[in-house]
Amino acid sequence: MESLLAGVLLYGSWVASATIALGLSLAWIDSRFGTRNLAIFPSISIVTLGIALFILLPVLRVVLMLAVFLRERDYRFGIIAALVLTIIFLGCVVGARTTSLVAH
Amino acid sequence: MDSGFALWLFAVSLGASALGGMLGMASGIFIVPILTVFGHVDIHTAIGASIVSVIACSCGGAAPYLKGRLTNVRLAIVLEVATTLGAFIGVLLAGYIPVPYLYFLFALILFLSARQMLAKRGNPSGAFAITDAGGWAGRLRLDSSYPDRALGQDIAYQVQRIPMGMSLMFGAGLISALLGIGSGVLKIPAMDTALRLPIKVSSATSNFMIGVTAAASAGAYFMRGNIVAAIAGPVALGSVVGAVLGARILMRMSNEKLRVMFVVILVALGIQMFLEALGIHLLKSSL
Repeated sequence: MESLLAGVLLYGSWVASATIALGLSLAWIDSRFGTRNLAIFPSISIVTLGIALFILLPVLRVVLMLAVFLRERDYRFGIIAALVLTIIFLGCVVGARTTSLVAH
Repeated sequence: MDSGFALWLFAVSLGASALGGMLGMASGIFIVPILTVFGHVDIHTAIGASIVSVIACSCGGAAPYLKGRLTNVRLAIVLEVATTLGAFIGVLLAGYIPVPYLYFLFALILFLSARQMLAKRGNPSGAFAITDAGGWAGRLRLDSSYPDRALGQDIAYQVQRIPMGMSLMFGAGLISALLGIGSGVLKIPAMDTALRLPIKVSSATSNFMIGVTAAASAGAYFMRGNIVAAIAGPVALGSVVGAVLGARILMRMSNEKLRVMFVVILVALGIQMFLEALGIHLLKSSL
């Protein structure tokens, strides 16, 4: 399990970082040369995608652990992993239902 | 998007993360004070950006520990029940805590971290004692072993006092969500005093756990719209690059000098945050 998780976290971090870097570079080019949204959609939404990937990466790690525990028929730990996922999911539901704290 | 400001965010996050990485500390504790005091970023936006950088550092740095069999993944998932629950409560509370209180709490955590940094940390006494075999750790098969390079053999260790460790971890998750930090200040006593883990296992396992803990609050903040991409993007990227550099420089600098430098920075930032809590802004100049 350790080497699987190590690989996912390492490559996942690379992909997420590269996505953020790409979005920021495009946004920089936009502001530098006055082009508007060099990419088909706004450059900043590529940055948002990269951030979302980073947030999903640990969640994916728990999903993988859940799968490994179930395959090893370690149901007690399967339940523990499922509980962690449930708490994260509930947090997102609460977050979506409450208003932003950031003053725009 | 102001690219000059983005570059500044990238640079300070890189610096904070490189410094933090050198002493095995999360960069989050520096990011929020720097962003609010020097960058005049709204504290909730700063917390949102910082929590993403905490995830980035955790995920980016986990692989070597996992491959070196230092991370206790079974123990991590058990403790994550407590940390994510704490983070969930933190997200619920975040909207109700007045901003000056947040600054005050942050100042307190900075001072406590400075004090903790002064005390030397080693393997806790009784780390390797096999005492109760029928407890929580035994039932959940949490006890494990790790390879020690210096001794060239595997060292077995036992996990102790799980309920006390879980309570402290709940607090760590709560503080992490409220302030956007890794909350090492609560995890270190949890790992050392309660669970009594060998220091290498403790560092690896807490680094592994913090990603999931931070994801619990970051997911909620993301859905709530508290994560501003123009700020969080450069901060996350700078932190990842900084963490990689920090790990490389780690070997070349005296640990004692670093420790003193850290304590000074933590206290200075703590004073700044305390003044902000009282509504006194020493730095008026806007970037």
